[in-house]
Amino acid sequence: MNLKISALQFTKDVKSGNISAEEFISKTMERIQNVDTILHAFLSLNNNAVDQAREIDKKIKNREKVGQCFGMPVSIKDNICVKDTKTTCASKMLENFIAPYDATVITKLKQQDAIFVGKVNLDEFAMGLSTEFSAYGPSKNPWNTGYVPGGSSGGSAVSVSAFECVASLGSDTGGSVRNPASFCSTVGYKPTYGLISRYGLISYANSIEQIGPLTRTVEDAAFMLNLIAGLDHNDDTTINNNNEDYLKDIDSGIEGKKVGIIKEMIGEGIDPSVLSATKDAISKLERLGAICEEISLDMVKYSVAAYYTITATEAGSNLARYDNLRYGYDFPVEGYEFNSYIVKARKKFGPEVTRRIILGGFVPSAGHAGKYFLKALKVKSKLTRQINEAFKKFDLLISPTVPILPFKIGEKINDPVALFLIDINTVTANLTGKPAISIPYSMSNGLPIGIQLIANSMNDKLLLQAAYALEKTVKLPEIPI
Amino acid sequence: MEYQKEIEHVAKLMRIEIDDPTIYESVDKMIGYFNILDSAGVESEEMTIKEIPITKLREDKYIPSNEKLIEKLNHYKGTYLRAPKMI
Repeated sequence: MNLKISALQFTKDVKSGNISAEEFISKTMERIQNVDTILHAFLSLNNNAVDQAREIDKKIKNREKVGQCFGMPVSIKDNICVKDTKTTCASKMLENFIAPYDATVITKLKQQDAIFVGKVNLDEFAMGLSTEFSAYGPSKNPWNTGYVPGGSSGGSAVSVSAFECVASLGSDTGGSVRNPASFCSTVGYKPTYGLISRYGLISYANSIEQIGPLTRTVEDAAFMLNLIAGLDHNDDTTINNNNEDYLKDIDSGIEGKKVGIIKEMIGEGIDPSVLSATKDAISKLERLGAICEEISLDMVKYSVAAYYTITATEAGSNLARYDNLRYGYDFPVEGYEFNSYIVKARKKFGPEVTRRIILGGFVPSAGHAGKYFLKALKVKSKLTRQINEAFKKFDLLISPTVPILPFKIGEKINDPVALFLIDINTVTANLTGKPAISIPYSMSNGLPIGIQLIANSMNDKLLLQAAYALEKTVKLPEIPI
Repeated sequence: MEYQKEIEHVAKLMRIEIDDPTIYESVDKMIGYFNILDSAGVESEEMTIKEIPITKLREDKYIPSNEKLIEKLNHYKGTYLRAPKMI
């Protein structure tokens, strides 16, 4: 049984009877048992997955209607609610939280007969970019287990990369889908803000976060987007995509398309091998007929500070609900005064979440809001204006997804500002609501490098077409695990 | 640390108690980094805010749950959430 197939190949093979969903899921669960003791992608497993797959095989055999996923094994970041399963956000605070409802993306995937093999690791409440801030320990990069897999959707990227599932859902607030996709050599897609419902995604920074797929191929990302995108009355920020088919014409190519190379994203601090890969990708796009030119977005320099100011503010508000009364762990209320109980209960937050909650109180507070929060919102506005101007001239923008290679576990954990700066190339798409994708592109010293393409809002289809064209120029090795 | 007292005050307001002093140091460092915003030159920039008209919002109606959600809480009595004493 070959577990290394794409989502589209899986659906084709199950539909045609070449493989059974049950056998594939069984082998997938075996694979998880074998490799996850090392990789630690999963926080919990679905013990009914094989039975669910058997039901799908029965439906196929009886010629009953089967959803487009045909029992495809999908992992879900543990900040997305799946009814009656633990949803911990990789936090001790939500250690025993059982989601009482399905997120909209989950409802949609269930309708299409996807099988959720388990919930995967993340930085606590999606705050981080290495999974080192998970309260349950870090995931490991399958390309070199001494290195971080990126984050915050690190478990998602590891599970796809290490063939523990066929596709995964993550969430991207400042690059949390694209960063681990780049570090683990998978495709990571952050859609236009509003394209995918956030209903059932545990909130961190609502104004910019989005759920997005991590997959083996660009076609698979388009397939997943077809299944989960669209209006949702439970999320008023969703937008109507008129049931766009993102797979159709994905091979249209990029001839004649204008691509802007973002100067500020290939400057100071970039690893030479990442720069070299980016230049190579640009040459390939040119050979495919694209016209590439450098462009400056000077607000990018301030984007990280603006991003962390805005997200901390929203996090401070969103995480105020964790008082251990409405949600929480087993900690008796007897013998405590109200405030002292909540203070004590909130000690379960890990160090990064604690830092960001404090920041989230500080930056919008009276006396500081003008200097930090309001200024960050203005940077966001100016950056949006600049990128909108850029899209009058260019169809797409390009940069490396992350300016550095994956780093060793523990190497940067004590330097929060150094960690912040790793987000420099990804936060722009979040702050401006633009769609962006990370495409596995090359390797350096056995570690993956991803290339990022960004498109204008609602040009997700064009973005996927360009990513597909670039992907077809690349041949990468298989993971060693 | 430049902002220690203010950080301690805000932490209290956010109902966060910290035993590890490195948390204060790292928050102070983060705030120090945010000072880069001063050189962004955006004072005259207008903030763009996405407005969603109230007419576009879904109806705020009561949907009865077929489950006893209260039973999912750690601390409840009857149909009430159980909280520690306020005074």
